[in-house]
Amino acid sequence: MNGADPTWLRLEGVSFRRGGRTILGNLSIDFAQHELTLLTGHNGSGKTTLLRILAGLLQPDSCTLELNGSRPRAGWRHCRQLLRSHSCYLHQQPYLFDATVFDNIAYGLRRRGVPAGRIRPQVEAALATTRLEHLAQRHCQQLSGGEKQRVAMVRAWVLRPRLLLLDEPVANMDKPSRRQCYELLNRMREDDIAVLLTSHDPQQGDLEITRHLHLYRGEMSRKELHTADNDQPEDEVIQP
Amino acid sequence: MESLSDASRQALYLLFTGDRELWVVIGISFTVSLRAVIFATPLALACAFALAYLRFPGRRLLISLFNTALSVPAVVVGLTLYMLLSRAGPLGDWRLLFTQEAMIIGQILLCFPILVAMSHSALQASDRRVWETALTLGATPLRALLTLIHETRFGLIAALIAGFGRIIAEVGSSMMVGGNILNYTRNIPTAIALETSKGSFAQGIALGLVLLLLALSLNLLLTLLQGRGEVAA
Repeated sequence: MNGADPTWLRLEGVSFRRGGRTILGNLSIDFAQHELTLLTGHNGSGKTTLLRILAGLLQPDSCTLELNGSRPRAGWRHCRQLLRSHSCYLHQQPYLFDATVFDNIAYGLRRRGVPAGRIRPQVEAALATTRLEHLAQRHCQQLSGGEKQRVAMVRAWVLRPRLLLLDEPVANMDKPSRRQCYELLNRMREDDIAVLLTSHDPQQGDLEITRHLHLYRGEMSRKELHTADNDQPEDEVIQP
Repeated sequence: MESLSDASRQALYLLFTGDRELWVVIGISFTVSLRAVIFATPLALACAFALAYLRFPGRRLLISLFNTALSVPAVVVGLTLYMLLSRAGPLGDWRLLFTQEAMIIGQILLCFPILVAMSHSALQASDRRVWETALTLGATPLRALLTLIHETRFGLIAALIAGFGRIIAEVGSSMMVGGNILNYTRNIPTAIALETSKGSFAQGIALGLVLLLLALSLNLLLTLLQGRGEVAA
């Protein structure tokens, strides 16, 4: 669990086809602790599909999983279970349950078996850290778009998943919300959370990105960090 | 033949003076139909969920079949069940004909398609993100299903009300397999049919009023829920 041998999750041969079209073509991806990965690509390049597969919500046509250096027994049902227990996925427009902010954030803790007595302090601490404590008893239908996004992010963060998957998290945010969101994402690295976020924009401001991947026509390539505006993948191709 | 206003006045008198025979009939109607809805709901919900969320061959055909079953007349269900349950029928050994249990089975068959069709459309209109968010936050599939039911409760309760409305007012099946036995299988609709054929319109209208009051309270409940189920900003 330290940064020395960082790769703890690897997926190989991930492919996904729908309606005769290859969305993901036999690509591989791995994750290390503390890694903040930016995944870019055009609309329809398969970013969301990949995230949903990594979250165990979508079954790929083929895929091999390696977790902590060992290969679990085959079968998507088993892999799905492992992926779900280690990751947390945030939709582009996250869904908040018809309840208060407090209950939304407590939902995952309750489902993951945290003892009842420890839920309240954990939720309150998370709200305080993210300066959202004034919203605790607010009903989620009364929140603004940016607040919803941040509450959803706290709801995921409080679970301390090993892998956090964010689908275009800042797409609809104004600058201050975006800055607070980046602050939280940078902080997550300290909590041993590997973060993968997608965007069609390679420029992510203050975000301390450690790796930049690019999806193009179902293939993934690694890009130099901070080289922004090139759409075509031209660096080392990880998988054909 | 008494005038309509005389009959209505007498009906209200019977209702509010607690006429025993009348209230027994009302009680049978409610207990039979409530039990039918309670038994039918879990399986209907499971079917609706499978139709909305799982991909399997024949799914569309099944949806069409359930929608078709909405228009099967109660009397046809009653007749079919009668043939199955009568002494000479394949289920004759169960000795269920002319019992409340037979009425409940008939009403389960009648409300099941409505419950499935309406719950299915409620679940289909619901946001897929509910299910996925629950799973990704660590809910088991069963727990995620409960969350989904909670989030779509407005549409699902409307389905329950529609299902209950269909069977509390049906006469065909109850008459055939229940037999309209006083103090045992006589419910509101079969009693209305009987009283009308006897010419006691007051009893018939009293029972009709009870049905109307019931419909009114169901609709008030629905309106109340509509007030709560606001569209999110």
